[in-house]
Amino acid sequence: MNFSNVTSLARTAELSLAEKGITSAKVVLTGFVVVFAMLILLILIIKLYSFIVVKAQQGGTKKKEKPAAVPLTSESKNVVPAAPVSDDGVSQEVVAVISAAVASMYGSPEKVKIKSIKKSNGGRSAWANAGILDNTRPF
Amino acid sequence: MEILQGFADAVGGILESSGLLTLNWQNYVMIGVSIVLLYLAIKKQYEPLLLLPIAFGMLLVNLYPQIMAAPSTELLTEAQCAAQNVATSGHATTVINGITYYENPTYGGLLYYLYQGVKLGIYPPLIFLGIGCMTDFGPLIANPKSLILGAAAQIGIFVTFTGAIFLGFTATEAGAIGIIGGADGPTAIYVTTKLAPHLLGSIAIAAYSYMALVPIIQPPIMKLLTTKKERSVVMEQLRPVSKLEKIMFPVIVVIIIAIFLPDAAPLVGMLMLGNLFKESGVVERLAKTAQNELMNIITIFLGTTVGATASGQNFLTFDTIKIIVLGLIAFCMGTAFGILFGKIMYKFTGGKVNPLIGSAGVSAVPMAARVSQKVGQQENPGNFLLMHAMGPNVAGVIGSAVAAGVLLNIV
Repeated sequence: MNFSNVTSLARTAELSLAEKGITSAKVVLTGFVVVFAMLILLILIIKLYSFIVVKAQQGGTKKKEKPAAVPLTSESKNVVPAAPVSDDGVSQEVVAVISAAVASMYGSPEKVKIKSIKKSNGGRSAWANAGILDNTRPF
Repeated sequence: MEILQGFADAVGGILESSGLLTLNWQNYVMIGVSIVLLYLAIKKQYEPLLLLPIAFGMLLVNLYPQIMAAPSTELLTEAQCAAQNVATSGHATTVINGITYYENPTYGGLLYYLYQGVKLGIYPPLIFLGIGCMTDFGPLIANPKSLILGAAAQIGIFVTFTGAIFLGFTATEAGAIGIIGGADGPTAIYVTTKLAPHLLGSIAIAAYSYMALVPIIQPPIMKLLTTKKERSVVMEQLRPVSKLEKIMFPVIVVIIIAIFLPDAAPLVGMLMLGNLFKESGVVERLAKTAQNELMNIITIFLGTTVGATASGQNFLTFDTIKIIVLGLIAFCMGTAFGILFGKIMYKFTGGKVNPLIGSAGVSAVPMAARVSQKVGQQENPGNFLLMHAMGPNVAGVIGSAVAAGVLLNIV
């Protein structure tokens, strides 16, 4: 304990109050400016390349919403709430939910037209998700 | 008779080398502290994945200090040390027949070797590799302005630096203390081992404690600085981000940051490598290993050895108390500046940005984002801020790595 007092006394002796002020002002200013400059640079670059990528992808082929697998009836296109009737494995209730989600992602519902809905068999299982959640928590 | 004498000598020898005679009061205090931490980790589940190994490392080193002893070769008395010009500091001592020997064992303690990964700055970047595999930068790419919030939350680091300087710490020590405000365990450890290794135990424990306390520390500050109207802002859905954008992101970020700020390259580089493992989709095995097995192994080594730096003599000083107070200030300032910049963005966008997402700019992924979500939902139960808060949250990881690079460079 005494030892630490001695070292802290020695430290205070090393730097005068003015020197401390100058050192910290220097670090605060540099830190502030450099961190913001780096991250603003990143913002500009991300915006630029996303713009290019989005343009390029739109310019190529008009993107299809999803690959055709389950052709839907005209009734389900209009997202009419109906009894959950199975239509080739996808119930209309599920179709309604997916349509609603897609419509909310893209803003106005008039622009959206769902051509087909297909079950995907990839992705993480619920257990994998739980495992990842468990691992990410402390960091 | 001879047998009895031999028995008595043997027992005497064992007693002499036992902790009962060699440990001092600081060790006993620290044993108590480590048991409290074990309780918090197991019963209260405060960051158990880290707190449990840290607490146990602390327990071990205070029961048996030589477990962290550095390797050397001979037993020397003080006179012999002086004669042979051998430095006596940093060596464990043994008392035999009343003479103090400076112990130079051929091999160091178990934790000494595991600790080299911390000391040489190997473990923190490897943890970042795993974090990169688990991080989705999608919300950040969809809304790059979040990076401003990630930068704003780092101001706390530099403000705390000033506080530490005026409390009598040296510039390098102050830099290491300030980084607690980045709320990023691996970054804090990385910077501390480079700038002020003797403070590692206190800083790591402060950093991880405050990260565990995010849900308690942040909400009052968030509520104090925002109005009810601001807290109930519902944000627009983020645009979907294409796979190509996600693949390009890590490559572009690492090029920019490593060129301009090489000191941040080990941390940011590994983070982005991990993210590329994930987003490229072609090395799934590597991504799985990095985020599960490798990360868990490193966490065990890191936690135990960081805990083992907190031996009684190192830890029970007035400096530790100062560090714990300064760390809390750093953390609160980071949260406050994030929120304040969130408010600025709220004004500039005409009320489209909910300032609550600003507090997620301190890294602490994903806890800080969850806190934003929770506080937002208290005002408006139908409001889902989580994805919006993930943007500043992952930006905070990049931000604190950049801030670390700045500190390493200028301090």
